[in-house]
Formats: sequence, C-alpha cells, structure tokens
Amino acid sequence: MTALSAPGGGSLALSALDGVATVPLALSALSTRYAYATFALLFAIGLYMMIASPNLVKKVIGLNLFQSAIFLFFVSMAYVRGGAVPAIPSEGGAVGAYASPLPQVIVLTAIVVGVSLTAVALALIVRLYTEYGTLNEETIREVMDE
Amino acid sequence: MSLLGFTLAAFVILTAVATALLRDTLAVIILFAAYSLGMALLYTLLLAPDVGITEAAIGAGVTTILLLVTITKTTRPGAEEIFSAVNWPAATVSAGLAAVLLSVVGAIPAGNFLGGTTPVTGAAGTPGEGVTGHYLAASYAETGVHNTVTAVLASYRGFDTFGEAVVVFAAGVAVVVVLHRGDFV
Repeated sequence: MTALSAPGGGSLALSALDGVATVPLALSALSTRYAYATFALLFAIGLYMMIASPNLVKKVIGLNLFQSAIFLFFVSMAYVRGGAVPAIPSEGGAVGAYASPLPQVIVLTAIVVGVSLTAVALALIVRLYTEYGTLNEETIREVMDE
Repeated sequence: MSLLGFTLAAFVILTAVATALLRDTLAVIILFAAYSLGMALLYTLLLAPDVGITEAAIGAGVTTILLLVTITKTTRPGAEEIFSAVNWPAATVSAGLAAVLLSVVGAIPAGNFLGGTTPVTGAAGTPGEGVTGHYLAASYAETGVHNTVTAVLASYRGFDTFGEAVVVFAAGVAVVVVLHRGDFV
C-alpha cells in the first residue's frame, strides 16, 4: 500500500495485516476480512433473536444487534488498509490514503434514527403491557384472538 | 491491529451469543451494553472514531437507559432458568443466512473497498475512488472543517441531517402520544 505518507497512525495498521501473506489462503482471507465475517455472524444472531425470542424487549434488543451488524459492514467497507482517519490537516492538504468518510456519515445518521425507532418500539411495549399485562408474544396473540 | 481486531470481534460475537441465549432480560440488557462498547472500540479500530463515539454514547448509553426504564415499568422473565430454550427452526434459518454471507465474504476486496487516496498521490483504483477522493481533496478548502465526516454531515448533507432531527422529533411526539393514551389526539 502506498500509505507511507498518511498522517496519524497510518503505518499502525500496515505491518500486522501484511505479515499474514504466508499463511494458508483461507486463513489469510479470514484475517484480512474478519470484520466482514463478524458482520455475517452478528447479522444472523440478530435475526435469530428477532424470530425466536417470545419476549418483546428481547426482540427489540435483537433488532438493535441486527442494525449494528449492518453498521459494522458499512464501516468495514470504508476501511482502507494502512489508511488514516478522514481528518484533513490544514497545512499541505490531504496527502495519502484515508478511510472513506461517506459510509461513516450514513452510519452516524442511521445510529440516531435507530435510537428513535427503539424509543418508539419501547413506548409501544410499555403501552402493550398496560393493556395486556404481559410481554410474551404468544400470550398477547392468544388474548387478542379471544 | 489484527490481534486487537480479532479480540474485539471475538468479544462482540460472544456477548451477542450470550444476549441471544440468556433468559433474564436484565442480564441481556447489561450484556448488550457491553456488546455496544465492544462495537464502539471495533469501529474506532476500523478508522471510524466518529461512529465509535456515537455508538458509545447512543448504543451503550441512551439505548441501555431506555431498555432499563422499560423493564422497570413492565416486567422481566424470572430467573428460574438461566438459558432460554433454543428455537431450532429460527436457528436453522439464521445459520443458513450466516453460511450464505460467509461464503461470499472472500469475494469482497479486503482493505480498500470504498476508501480513497487523494488525487495528490494518484488513484488507487478502488470503486469509490472518484467520489471519496473529491470529498477528501476539496472538503477542507470548501468548508473549512478539518474532519471530513463532520464536513459531509453538517455542510454537504445539511438537509439530510435536518431530516434526521425531524425523525427524532417525530419519535418524541410518537412516544408522548403512545404513553399518554390519546390525551393529545
């Protein structure tokens, strides 16, 4: 990578990732793409919580987990090996490799929208509890069918 | 980089699995706060400190408080069993999704998918090169803000951020309407 002139910790990420070229291919693919593998596993765990948990609060926690997995995917796409944080020094302008700021901005917006969604979902859960006296999805469905 | 990254990735995966399997909602909420903190550190390690700070403040802070307030106002499953039973159909669907995603992970270009090299040092040939390179090269001259993330958020996409504020306001109104049982409507 041509990141030698990147300011602020640019060389920090370089040595550790380039040293894995000698290990077998699958292991090296995992070591450079571990963030994507983490995304896939967290995404599946969030989906499992949303489907399997009978408790509505745990479903909302699963939704948050699912969301943060997608955020991790965006942040991983923006990452540049041997790059720097996208903050431009004033003298000399931007020189070298930087992480892309654009997916990071989208994720910042999505985090705030996500907490708004969580607040509305939890308010609905509190209201459901005052109406039905339970947070179990199956019980609420049975009471509604009667 | 990679050792710390692996450690953090293992930490968030373990806390996520424990979040999915534990039965007591209070324990799940505390584990989810720990998970959010791990994610914040992972974002920071992946060159996104702005996202990391926001995740630490909102994911580990505000969301945890909202969840705790919810379980104090409602109920939580008792602690007679530590783990909830595994729902095998859901686990099968989730494992299938994870398998599909993991099988295509190897095809993703590692390290520089969307990141940019500024035009000063020449193009690196990544898909996002042109757009990202423009913002990196021109944002300080055009907005006077050092942090390109802040420049894009507040200057280039100011209307988008305004819309985000409208979403937060609408959510606040929705919470008030729902909890006051229609006194306002």
